[in-house]
Amino acid sequence: MADPNNAWMGNWLNSQQNYWKAWTDMAQSGIKTPEAPKNPWADGISQWWQAVSPMAPPTGRDVFDKLMDVSRGYFSMAEKFMNSAGKETSMDAMNGWFENMQTTWNDWMSNGGLLRPDAQHKSMMTFWDLPLDTWQRLAANVIPMPGDFTQAFHPEGASDHMRGQVNRFLSIPAVGYSREFQEQYQILGQRMVDYSKAVHDYQMSFGKLAVETTQEFQASVQEMAKDGKSLSSLREIYDKWVEMSEAAYARFVMTQEYQSLYGRLVNNLLAVKQQMARIVDGNLEAMHMPTHAEISTLQRRQQELRRDNLQLRKEIKAIQQQLEAMRQRDLQTPAAPKATAAKPAAVAKAPAAKKPVAKAPAKTPAKPATKAAAPTKPAAKK
Amino acid sequence: MMPFDIRPDAVMQEVSAYSKKLTHGLQNLMEVGEISTGVTPKTAVYHEDKLTLFRFEQPKDAIPNKVPLLIVYALVNRPYMTDIQENRSTVKALMAAGQDVYLIDWGYPDRADRYLTLDDYINGYLDRCVDVICERHRVPKINILGICQGGTFSLCYSALHPEKVQNLVTMVTPVDFQTPDNMLSHWVQQVDVDLVVDTMGNVPGEMLNWTFLNLKPYQLMGQKYLGLLDTLDDPEQLKNFLRMEKWIFDSPDQAGEAFRQFIKDFYQQNKLLKGGLEIGEPVNLKNVTMPVLNIFAEQDHLVPPDASRAMRGKLGTKDYTELSFPGGHIGIYVSGKAQKTVPPAIGKWLDERS
Repeated sequence: MADPNNAWMGNWLNSQQNYWKAWTDMAQSGIKTPEAPKNPWADGISQWWQAVSPMAPPTGRDVFDKLMDVSRGYFSMAEKFMNSAGKETSMDAMNGWFENMQTTWNDWMSNGGLLRPDAQHKSMMTFWDLPLDTWQRLAANVIPMPGDFTQAFHPEGASDHMRGQVNRFLSIPAVGYSREFQEQYQILGQRMVDYSKAVHDYQMSFGKLAVETTQEFQASVQEMAKDGKSLSSLREIYDKWVEMSEAAYARFVMTQEYQSLYGRLVNNLLAVKQQMARIVDGNLEAMHMPTHAEISTLQRRQQELRRDNLQLRKEIKAIQQQLEAMRQRDLQTPAAPKATAAKPAAVAKAPAAKKPVAKAPAKTPAKPATKAAAPTKPAAKK
Repeated sequence: MMPFDIRPDAVMQEVSAYSKKLTHGLQNLMEVGEISTGVTPKTAVYHEDKLTLFRFEQPKDAIPNKVPLLIVYALVNRPYMTDIQENRSTVKALMAAGQDVYLIDWGYPDRADRYLTLDDYINGYLDRCVDVICERHRVPKINILGICQGGTFSLCYSALHPEKVQNLVTMVTPVDFQTPDNMLSHWVQQVDVDLVVDTMGNVPGEMLNWTFLNLKPYQLMGQKYLGLLDTLDDPEQLKNFLRMEKWIFDSPDQAGEAFRQFIKDFYQQNKLLKGGLEIGEPVNLKNVTMPVLNIFAEQDHLVPPDASRAMRGKLGTKDYTELSFPGGHIGIYVSGKAQKTVPPAIGKWLDERS
């Protein structure tokens, strides 16, 4: 019996091939496509993955998820090129495409880091957003809030003036019986505003970087054209884009500006987390439950005890070995006169064998004695 | 000439081919099964807390170097990278080069390990592992191979306990943590590490992953997956990719206190090079008097070659050798070229000195 999964996959593949064939035929015949969704290819692949992803095994599903993210950007790029290639044949088409990208980025920055609903190049912008997108996923694990909660402060709250107002509001002295509680929440509010500002600044710096890189890319391909070179596939364009983006990024992240942005991003997130932990501890304490700070103290003391314990065991072992060595020496001293000629030589080696073992834990160099230990130990056992 | 020489039908064909590869790839993914790592048979010879010391099993007729070799891996990733698959195993290649190989697996620290310090790791765990191996082989000293952060630990250990180290091999090991091309170092200078550790306790592996991925974000988070598309048809290559992917994202949390000291003393203050480092007691690189083989990768984006080369002239040894490998931080363990050149060179160098 045929594997139903494979049969399903085969059907899907066939219909997909038909779909692409229809597109290709249209492209070759120069027929203008009827009214279609804005990003039919990128949307199509999203829908396909939505349909089949439940069947994907856990091993590798993450990888495929990432591949899909990249694919959407790639397909979006293909769509833009397809449109340009179908309509115009001059350098103007390419320049128009680049300028369009820059406009989208400038729009995005002036809109406080939010894409307008009708934004073009949406899927391609996710390419630039990779570092921040990953950061937001991480932040969501660090503080129990959605990673993009700072968007709530945009665009209305994006201005420094607005932030100043919020900060002033949060600085109103707390009064009354619950004064301390109020203060703690005010501090949390201030820290969240600070963090949102740090995220915003970080995001904006990537917007600027994207615009600059797009300009550099444009200049670079124009240079290529002058030299008689060209990019002949989507993949080549994508790879060139990555190469230029990495180069621009590598320059930017080694600046003092980025060092400061990075430091502020991390420090402000942790400051929010720290204040949240304080508030949680306050509540736990009120309920007579162990707090994070108390458990931390216990863990520290336990580690100190463990360290002391290990050190003491090491020292006891060393003392025991020294005692054993002394006992052996004491045994040998009175026995020596009675011993036969052969015996003294045999026992004379024994202390040397024990010495290094005793000395080693005490970290004494004792190199020669240690060297003697290796050959004599097995011999003594025999 | 137009810089983009792409016809609409060519775009269509490319996208169609892409789509076909994706569909086939998903089929292969469904059949890929479990991803194995750590291929060479090994035996656990010592346990302590989360740590396990392994000895790799020698072939029956092998007569290895009498001085065993201990691999000390970094805390930030898992050590099975050294034995990741049959044809990409530094461990296997070292054994083939006549070495009797041990490996420390530091395990996954949890919150109970938050107060482990570098002193605990280096003068505690590592020292006790060395003692266990010395006792098992009845030798006074062993050979150590430190990798990346594990190389820095090994270097510190060798400075603190020179009497227990016969030969030291360091691979992609930073010594100067502030070379101008060190991105990680540049980024971390304004991070308030005290705030990070006091707040988080242990530092999540995810946080480190984010940092590492950001070294080359568009390649590592984008282009790499597009490259995968070319190998999706081949189940073996797909498995290799998934194996590497598993390793990359298999990042243990970092014990808070050890992380605090590592970032502050090494990255922010560069004390290993400049002096003033204390791990239980002062660490003086002039105490590293045993022979040292320093191996680095020329295209290393994590530990720039100059960060490793800084070792030259700073140690007390008169027997110092450098080996430069034309590859990257990971390629130095797993690339075919590395497999053929690096472990045999280590084996030869050790045999001449053991």
